[in-house]
Amino acid sequence: MAAAASSSSTESPKTTTERRGIPGAQFVEDVETYLSQTGLDVNSALGFLQERLQQYKLVEMKLLAQQRDLQAKIPDIEKCLDVVATLQAKKGTGEALIADFEVSEGIYSRARIEDNDSVCLWLGANVMLEYSCEEATSLLQKNLENAKASLEVLIADLQFLRDQVTITQVTIARVYNWDVHQRRIRQTATSSTAKDS
Amino acid sequence: MQQGTGASETEVTWEDQQNINKFGRLNNRLHELEDEIKVAKETIDNLEDASNELILTDEEVVRFQIGEVFAHVPKEEVETRIEEMKEVSSKNLEKLEEEKESVVGQMAELKKVLYGKFKDSINLEED
Repeated sequence: MAAAASSSSTESPKTTTERRGIPGAQFVEDVETYLSQTGLDVNSALGFLQERLQQYKLVEMKLLAQQRDLQAKIPDIEKCLDVVATLQAKKGTGEALIADFEVSEGIYSRARIEDNDSVCLWLGANVMLEYSCEEATSLLQKNLENAKASLEVLIADLQFLRDQVTITQVTIARVYNWDVHQRRIRQTATSSTAKDS
Repeated sequence: MQQGTGASETEVTWEDQQNINKFGRLNNRLHELEDEIKVAKETIDNLEDASNELILTDEEVVRFQIGEVFAHVPKEEVETRIEEMKEVSSKNLEKLEEEKESVVGQMAELKKVLYGKFKDSINLEED
């Protein structure tokens, strides 16, 4: 449950404080009390809530982009692990691994990979380091676990964010409806006094 | 999915809000699952095609894609690998289908509860 993400949820389950910079949406028990507490009239309250909604949408887009990046990175790391594992498997047999690789778009060349103990890993920022097969495997494994863990945290953040969006949308609807209701009451009150006089 | 309370004075309690939130989360998860199931089915189809091609070919050495390169692998090894990949993919697909069923079930439950309380004031259908 998203409420578990906040530490204050045990005392006041109605207000989840922020999570990693995302402000929590305050749950409104009663519209009238909410309006008198904040001292806002209906339009200002609606404006404030709409603005909050926009902010949430912005953060959501950012998080979604990060999620897409991570989801692309994970299969990449798994492919690298595959290659290193294949090289290690070939090591015992003594025969070379023949592979066709892409030199340029549509152009392939054949490579003969002899028995060796080390691989080079591309670390990004134009840096490539040589590792033994075992070191490479453990480094790649660690990167994979980190990526998966970050993805989980990100998904939890997104869920929390979506909950706050839902709460805000419901609050907007309720404030608006309360206002409509109030106007109707006032209208029937004025029209009945008009009838009396 | 929209939420709207009508002119009636039905109050929204924290529990209702939590139910609405949960429904929203489940709905999102359902869409994600449907996409993942589509991808899994495509993968299984591709593997099927690949193994059919394998049966037809008479080459001894097959270029099997590992990472970004195509390694020359003997035909039997490729067959074994493809079988393994098919196993993994079908297990994955099964797991996804199961999760989807559970999500759909939970959403139906929540719909009953929320429509029960809010009747017309809430809309939980796909737009």
